[in-house]
Amino acid sequence: MTIHYLILKKKILTITPLLLLYFFSFTDFDTVFINYLKFFYFNIQLIIIYYWVLKNPSILGYGHVFFAGIINDVVIGLPLGTTSLSYLVLSFVASYTREHFLRSQLISDWFAFLPAIFFSNLIYLILIIKFSDFEISYAELIQNSFFTFLFFPIFYQFFYFIEKNTNIKTDA
Amino acid sequence: MVQPRDDFIISIRSALLKRGARQKFSLLFLICFSFLIFILDSYSLKFMNTTRTVLNDAVYRASSMASTPLRIVNFLSSKTNEHFTLYGKYKKMEKTLSELEIKNLDVKFLQLENNKFKKIIGSNEESNSVNVLATVIVDKDSPFVKSVIINKGSNSNILKGMPVLHRNYLIGRIVEVNYLSSRVLLLNDLNSRIPVIIEPEGYQAILSGKGSRQPFLAYLPEVYAKETGSDIYTSGKDGIFPSGIPIGSTILDGEFYSVKLSADPTQLSVVSVIVKKSKFKREDAE
Repeated sequence: MTIHYLILKKKILTITPLLLLYFFSFTDFDTVFINYLKFFYFNIQLIIIYYWVLKNPSILGYGHVFFAGIINDVVIGLPLGTTSLSYLVLSFVASYTREHFLRSQLISDWFAFLPAIFFSNLIYLILIIKFSDFEISYAELIQNSFFTFLFFPIFYQFFYFIEKNTNIKTDA
Repeated sequence: MVQPRDDFIISIRSALLKRGARQKFSLLFLICFSFLIFILDSYSLKFMNTTRTVLNDAVYRASSMASTPLRIVNFLSSKTNEHFTLYGKYKKMEKTLSELEIKNLDVKFLQLENNKFKKIIGSNEESNSVNVLATVIVDKDSPFVKSVIINKGSNSNILKGMPVLHRNYLIGRIVEVNYLSSRVLLLNDLNSRIPVIIEPEGYQAILSGKGSRQPFLAYLPEVYAKETGSDIYTSGKDGIFPSGIPIGSTILDGEFYSVKLSADPTQLSVVSVIVKKSKFKREDAE
């Protein structure tokens, strides 16, 4: 009984990041957030993708990152592939950081998140400005990126707890 | 000396091409594939439009279902909040009601007078449009795009550009039509531009969204006297929107004139789309 419980707990925790990523892409959860914490609006999907690609890519595959981006594009109404590309560029920076720097610590991961957000948003901006008719607010994008960077350590601890409990070995 | 450069290239190559045991695709493949999809979607090819319409309908329905628990929490929270502020609201509404009762008498008199003048000039203004009611199924308030998804699409004769109202106040226009759903671009979105008239002064302007809750008035005439509280209506100058749909009233926001919208764009649940009657008549004939 205890073994079954432990296996179930581990399975649930293993799929939690994936569920969270799809949940935030599908739902209008941001609305709830924006009503209460409008100023601190941040992009939680970027944090989820960066953390799990960096720490344990076996839990969050690139295919899922791609599909989450496509869903986000459909829900928001952007040209298909915009958010996917932005997420995949973030995954690339995370993957590069993992390959290049062997030791992983909160502070180093946190600061490596800065160029990851930068390149991810740069691609997002270029695609929207150059290839579509959409106008976006630079101030809000910068504000959003800043708070995404700022809140990273909080989610780092939460995801670290999940990772510790799932105890899955990195296969990358 | 060459080692750091080699490390850099190896890391990049590894990040782009390496696949773990559970990764089905390499990062490079997915980046190229995303870019291809983006290009195809941007050029609006016919097969891509069909794919997008089917995908939109499916994702909107799934999104609506997935958002249900959050909507219930939101609903309960707002109802609790309403309950605690009930007394204050009641007192305020009591005062407003007495003011409106007085104004109502004026309105009745003006309506009678208006009908009398219409008879004299022989005006025959039979409405040539009908309102189609729709429910908001997705309301993802992104900081970049202000839009909502409604549950009516081309199956209900909805077309791009049609005005959307909430309690008779304009909230936006249709920008994307699928078979079972449509996207409404709200007035406060950065991409929204609507020609309006400011009453009682009668000045023309363009109502432009700026991403925040209140849109602002652009292209105001230089002689515009700084006044707040003027009513804003659609002017109908674009030939798409009917004239005279109420939108809100002017407020001074720094150096700009913003418009306090009469319908709160964050509180939409049921909206109506103004659909031209000719669409329905054609279908009946068929």
